[in-house]
Amino acid sequence: MLSRLGGLKVRARAVVEGVLSGLHKSPHQGQSVEFAEHKEYAPGDELKHLDWKAFGKFDRYYVKRFEHETNLRCTLVVDASGSMGFGTAGLTKLEVARVLAATLAHLLLKQQDAAGVAIAVKGKVVEVPPRSSASHLQVVFDALEQTPAKGETDLAATADLLAEKLPRRSLVCVFSDFLDDGPDGLKRLLALRARKHDVAIFHLVDPAELSFPYDDPTLFLSMEDERRLEVNPREIKESYLEEFNRFLEATKAACTAADVDYQRVRTDEPLDQVVVRFLSRRVGGGA
Amino acid sequence: MTFAHPWLLLGALAALIPLLVHLFDRRRPRPQPFPAIALLIKSQKRTASRLKLKRLILYALRTLFFLAVPFALARPEFVKTANAVTAKGAAATVIVVDTSLAMRWSDGTPLFDVARKEAKAALGDLLTEEPAALVPCTRAPVATGPLSFEKARLIAQVDELEPGYEVVDVNRCLEVAARALDESPLANRRIVLVTALTQSGLRLEAEPPVTTGPRGEKVKPEVVLRDVARGAEALPNRAILDVRAEPAPQAGVRAWQFTFTVRNFSAQAQKDVELSLKVGGQVVTKGFLDLSPDGTAQKALTWKFQQGGPTYVEGALTADQLPDDDVRGVVVTVPKELRALVVNGEPNPLKVKDEAYFTDAALSAPGSPVRAVVRDADAAWREDFSTWDVVMLLNVSPPPPDVGARLAEFVAKGGGLFLSFGSRAEVEATNTALASVLPRKLRVVKTAVEPGAADASTRAARLTQLEAAHPVLFPFTGKAREGLVSTRFYRYALFESVSNGEVTVLGTLDDGAPALLASRLGKGRVLAFASTVDRDWSDFPIRTSFLPFMQRAAAWLTGTLEEREEVKVRVGASVTLELDAERPAVLVKSPSGGERAVAKQADGVSGVAGPLPEPGPYQVLDALGVPNDAAAFAATIDPAASDVTRHSVEAVTTWFGEDVVRLAEGEQTEKKTPLWTWLLLVAAMAFVAEGVLLRK
Repeated sequence: MLSRLGGLKVRARAVVEGVLSGLHKSPHQGQSVEFAEHKEYAPGDELKHLDWKAFGKFDRYYVKRFEHETNLRCTLVVDASGSMGFGTAGLTKLEVARVLAATLAHLLLKQQDAAGVAIAVKGKVVEVPPRSSASHLQVVFDALEQTPAKGETDLAATADLLAEKLPRRSLVCVFSDFLDDGPDGLKRLLALRARKHDVAIFHLVDPAELSFPYDDPTLFLSMEDERRLEVNPREIKESYLEEFNRFLEATKAACTAADVDYQRVRTDEPLDQVVVRFLSRRVGGGA
Repeated sequence: MTFAHPWLLLGALAALIPLLVHLFDRRRPRPQPFPAIALLIKSQKRTASRLKLKRLILYALRTLFFLAVPFALARPEFVKTANAVTAKGAAATVIVVDTSLAMRWSDGTPLFDVARKEAKAALGDLLTEEPAALVPCTRAPVATGPLSFEKARLIAQVDELEPGYEVVDVNRCLEVAARALDESPLANRRIVLVTALTQSGLRLEAEPPVTTGPRGEKVKPEVVLRDVARGAEALPNRAILDVRAEPAPQAGVRAWQFTFTVRNFSAQAQKDVELSLKVGGQVVTKGFLDLSPDGTAQKALTWKFQQGGPTYVEGALTADQLPDDDVRGVVVTVPKELRALVVNGEPNPLKVKDEAYFTDAALSAPGSPVRAVVRDADAAWREDFSTWDVVMLLNVSPPPPDVGARLAEFVAKGGGLFLSFGSRAEVEATNTALASVLPRKLRVVKTAVEPGAADASTRAARLTQLEAAHPVLFPFTGKAREGLVSTRFYRYALFESVSNGEVTVLGTLDDGAPALLASRLGKGRVLAFASTVDRDWSDFPIRTSFLPFMQRAAAWLTGTLEEREEVKVRVGASVTLELDAERPAVLVKSPSGGERAVAKQADGVSGVAGPLPEPGPYQVLDALGVPNDAAAFAATIDPAASDVTRHSVEAVTTWFGEDVVRLAEGEQTEKKTPLWTWLLLVAAMAFVAEGVLLRK
């Protein structure tokens, strides 16, 4: 209820509380140094990293190399195209995306992980780089709240931008309906996975898109451009639902094929459960 | 297909509703922003053709519904023709066309017009290799020609056919058709019967026609029935079957009573049917009668003619579908007014003793056509006899010689002379004075018994033999004869046996003596009564027969009494006419102007003309073309022809044999299948299908 009535901050906090009450421990264990490989010593290497046991075995000097694991860096990509402004269950898809993104940001920053936001609209990307400071949360909230649903979808540009700017393996959470996007948008987002980034897709779906509850002759208007279609909904309902389900399945299949976490989110379902389900899956997946 | 309520078909206009809704429904669709419009457009494109087909089907179903409902309410029936015979190849064909009176029956379109169309349609249906002939079914049927391939000529012959006024023997016509088919080398034979199937024409108790095949075998011809009254179970008709005309003296001089017999040939009673009596084409009186179903009624109408002479009188019912038999005519000879000079040979101040008293009273009685004037002999001899129609010499003394000559001249020019004999009649002198007019000379006066004697009533002479067929004595038959033969003759004149010209003995006394002689002299006639017409020599004047006898005697003498019996002749038959010696009939002219020549018969005194083509009054013309009114007559329709009761097609089919009968298109045995239930089912199915399709 709070998630529907309050502002983004209140909503996110309400969701966070629901999430925390559903989890027993944090999936993150803080900083750690883990062995990665041996390297033959070369002048200039830190002597403290020499592996004396290896010297005893092989009579040669090897230097231990460690994989440096810092706090998690997460970029929350929110699609702010016109189609995200559609909502028949209280919240629009964009509002749901904002709440989910703010909730994750809240959770990340609460455990000293870095969280940033990239809001994708046609022609530009509103980016808030990841930070781990507690004061960064308000910046994230402001960025999320200030962007309305407008214009065409352009996830490809956002994906390109992230590919350039993300310095090392990051968690990239994408909130979008993936409608009216070009053929490369999802593909490029999934390509981030090939760059060792962890990608999670939140596919937002409105109940009306799933059930198509229209009867009388209707003039359907595009929410991103000038397209329109006058049709008797009953005549094409069956065909539309086939198309839509096919679209959902194709998106999911593409994500699965790219080893990307995919989650379909109905805008009328409790958002805390969405987050819990996401986090539980990631814990189970070793994240 | 037929409809019980065709006006309900107007409801089929409702079938335009779907189209009008499609054309004029301009509801604004509700705008709805929708994110997945690309998928909607893709879906719409993918299903466009299917949707178009669906809309068409919906439109068709709705139109079908709105058409089926009013069609069902109009209760259509599908008429199915049952054909028992299939084509077996080329067949020689004879078309028999009924021309009976029934074919004149009309319910807007005369049946014979239908018959012409049917006959021509039958000719049109023939294959080019099928020869045909035409048999007009008349009273004496004969084929118009041998089997031929000239269809155009046969069609022209059909066009020339006209319906008759007779009852025809359709069985005979079929026999003629069968004989015509015998001439064909083709194995297949066909008779097309175009008829109204009247029971009076077609007798189903007779044998159906059989033809003889090329090898002498008997072949039942295929029969195509073309019922011109198809669809009609019966042909209602009423007709005047007979008219009887007789004088009605009780109603006045020249009053006649006409008794019409009317028959109702339908199963419905008819009330207040108007019957008009027409004289000279004008309605002079009317009557009304009620007719029970299939019943007969009589109606008598009386009319008093203004003048005498032959007159055509016609009775006419209110016209029905067969108007030709609603009229029936008769020619009556109305007595002319006669002027009679009664010569009183023995006047007496005491009326009952006066010679002319009873005669004058009889001739002047009400209803008598005779206007009598009594003169004594001296005065009478000074009269110009040519100014009188009849002269009656009652017990006169022998007239002077010049009077005898003038009387002879009077009779020779057409006058009538009546002679009675009494005490004044001197045999020799009378024979001398009236030698040229007496039928036979007087011989002697015989006394059977003295008048007034005690036994006079038993010993008096009586009439024993009467020439009842003679016009003068025609009414004295049966009980009326008693009034004549009971007359007592006490004294009477005996005639010589040698006759003066053609003499007929009309009555003979019990001793064999002629009591009444009739003779023709020139144009005139003479009647000689052997006794007195007062009560001196007989009691004839006080007999009931005296008055009609005297009136008829006067009428006969002047030729105004109908001597010939009414000429009763039917249409289609020939009339036999008695030929007038001076004005022999040469032509007979029908009501419509057609003429028939009169063929003189071997006896020399009669002629035959005919057959008479139509009912109504016929004129008889002499060699100069002048009508002889006295010989005019009326031809009437055979009452049997008015009975237009029909056979059922099933009965006729059974009679011919169901294996050989083929019904023409549209025959009334066509099975009628009601379609409205199926149409309602179609409407319901369209309704359900539309609903199902709409929800998909």
